[in-house]
Amino acid sequence: MMHSDIKSRPEYRALEPDLAGNRHLLVIEGETLQHGRLDALAGTFAPVAGQLQTWLVGAPTATSGLGKVWQLAGPDAVLDAFACASRGFGMGDRLYVQGTEPFLWSVAGAAALIGFGPGQVQLHHAGSLRRRVWCTHCHAFTDGVTTNVVPCGGCGRHLLVRDHFSRRLGAFMGVMVDAEAPGEIPAIEEVFA
Amino acid sequence: MTIAFKPEETFRGDYSYRNSDAAILRFPFPFPEDRYMYSVNIEPHTRSGPSDVFLRPFDVDEHYIAECRDRAITLERDPGRCQVLPHMMMAQWDTLELLMENLSADYPELFSLTKEGDDFGSRWTWINRPLGIEQSFIFGDADTLPCEPFEYITRQAQGDFAICDQRDDNLYMDAGMVTAQADWSLEFDVGMSFMEWHGPVPLAHQAGVFERALKYLLMLRLGQPVRRLNWTMSINPRLDTSPESFPEWGPDRASVTPDNAGQKVHLRVELQTLWRLPRSNAILFPIRCYLASLDDLARVPKWGKRLNRVLSTLPPQLAEYKGLSRYLPAALEWLARHDDGAELPVGTEAGVTTLAPR
Repeated sequence: MMHSDIKSRPEYRALEPDLAGNRHLLVIEGETLQHGRLDALAGTFAPVAGQLQTWLVGAPTATSGLGKVWQLAGPDAVLDAFACASRGFGMGDRLYVQGTEPFLWSVAGAAALIGFGPGQVQLHHAGSLRRRVWCTHCHAFTDGVTTNVVPCGGCGRHLLVRDHFSRRLGAFMGVMVDAEAPGEIPAIEEVFA
Repeated sequence: MTIAFKPEETFRGDYSYRNSDAAILRFPFPFPEDRYMYSVNIEPHTRSGPSDVFLRPFDVDEHYIAECRDRAITLERDPGRCQVLPHMMMAQWDTLELLMENLSADYPELFSLTKEGDDFGSRWTWINRPLGIEQSFIFGDADTLPCEPFEYITRQAQGDFAICDQRDDNLYMDAGMVTAQADWSLEFDVGMSFMEWHGPVPLAHQAGVFERALKYLLMLRLGQPVRRLNWTMSINPRLDTSPESFPEWGPDRASVTPDNAGQKVHLRVELQTLWRLPRSNAILFPIRCYLASLDDLARVPKWGKRLNRVLSTLPPQLAEYKGLSRYLPAALEWLARHDDGAELPVGTEAGVTTLAPR
C-alpha cells in the first residue's frame, strides 16, 4: 500500500469486490502480478466469481481461477476493448484495476468514456513506484522515472519531478529545473524505486 | 468616464507596459496590516471597496486593448491555453451572457448588446468599440460565432477565466482561458477537482482552508458573487508567467539587483471573483491580474513601506511556493530604502489622492 502526502494523487486501496455490483471486470497489468498473488486475488473475488471476468494484460502465460480470463496484448488493447460498445457495460457493473500508475489511469480514462462513474471503479496501485512525467514545456511523456530530476524524452530539458499528479494524464508534472539559472542542476537522486 | 487606452504597450519583449498615475492610485493593494497573514478573505463582490477596481463587476482599465492582444499572441503560440470539456457548452453561453450584459451596462460607450427576434430575443448583436468588433449571432447556436462562445468572449476580456462544474459535492475545473497565470498549467489541471488543483499550495491544506472554502463555494448563489485578492510577484510586467513558458521568463528572476528591483520587480495582484451561472449551475472564476512595479508602489508612501514589512515576515515556504526566493533579498533591500519605519494606518487605501512626480 502506498501512502502519499500529495493532495492531487489519489489514495489507492486494496481491491475488494463490491457485492452490490451486477457484473465484475478485473483488469490486471501482467507485470504487476507477483507469484502467488493471483491465488490471493482469486480468493478475494471468490464471492463474485460467477459474474467475474478478468482481462490479463501483457502477461506471458495463461492463467485460471479468476472467472473468465481474457488475455490482452497491452494497454492499447484494453482501450480498444472498452471502445467496443457491444460489451455493453452498465450502471450496475464494477471495474477493478491493478497496475502501475500510468496503466491505472489510462484504463480509468477509457472506462469513464464509456460511462463508468467514479463509484463503479476501484484502482489498486501495484508494482513499481516509477513515475510517468509530463513535460510542462513540450508536453511529451517520459516513462519509468526513478529520479528527482530527469531529462525530458521530448525536448531534453532537465525536469524537476513535482509532487503534482494529473489523473487525466496519469502523470506527474515536470518543470525545467534550471530555467532560472541555466546549468544549475541539483544532485540527481533515486527517489521513486 | 473615458479610458485612455494604451494599445501599443507590451507584456513581453521590450515590456513597454506602464501604469498611469491614475492606474497606480486605483491599484488593488492587498495588505491591510504590517505583517503577512494567510487568509481566504472571501467577501461579497459588491460595487464598492477601497479601490475603484471594485466598483464594477468586470473592471476594464487602460490596459484593456494591449491585454487582449497579448492573449491573442499567447493563444497563437499555444492554443491549449483555452480548453473546454465537451459537457460545458451551457456554461459557455452563461459566461458569454454574463460578460456581455455587465460590460455593456457598465461601459455603454465601449460596448453594446442588443437582443431582438424570436425566442425571447435570441438574435444578439454585440459591439466592442475598443477592439473594433461587431458581431450578430443567435444566442445558443455556437455555429453563428467565429469560435465557441467561451473563447469568443474571453478573448475580449481582461484576466483569466476558469469554469468549475459542480457535481458530487465538488467542483471540477472543466474549462479555462488561461494566458496570464501565476505559474499553473491549465493543460495539466483541466478536469481536476478542487482539492486536486490546489494540491501544491503549502500550509493551507493542514489548516483546513480548502475544505472550508469548498463548502462555502458549493453554496454560492446566483446574483451574489464573491471575491478575494490573491498576490504573487513577477519580474517584468509579464502576463504569460505560465509553466509552459518558464524557460523564457525564468532567467529574469536571476537578473534582479538592489538597484534595478524598483523597475524589474512587480507586485502581481489577482482580483478573483466567483459567480454562480444560471443555466449550467457551474461557477465562473475570473482571475483579473493587476501589475505594479516597486517604483510604482513606492510612490504611494504607505504601500511602499507596508510591502517592505509584509515581505519581511513572509514564511519561507510561501516565498518558495510563489517563486520569490531567488530575488526576495534584493527586492527587500530596495524596499528598505523606502521605509522610514513610520507607523501606518490599518487598511489598504492609498491614503493619498495624487502622486509625487516621478
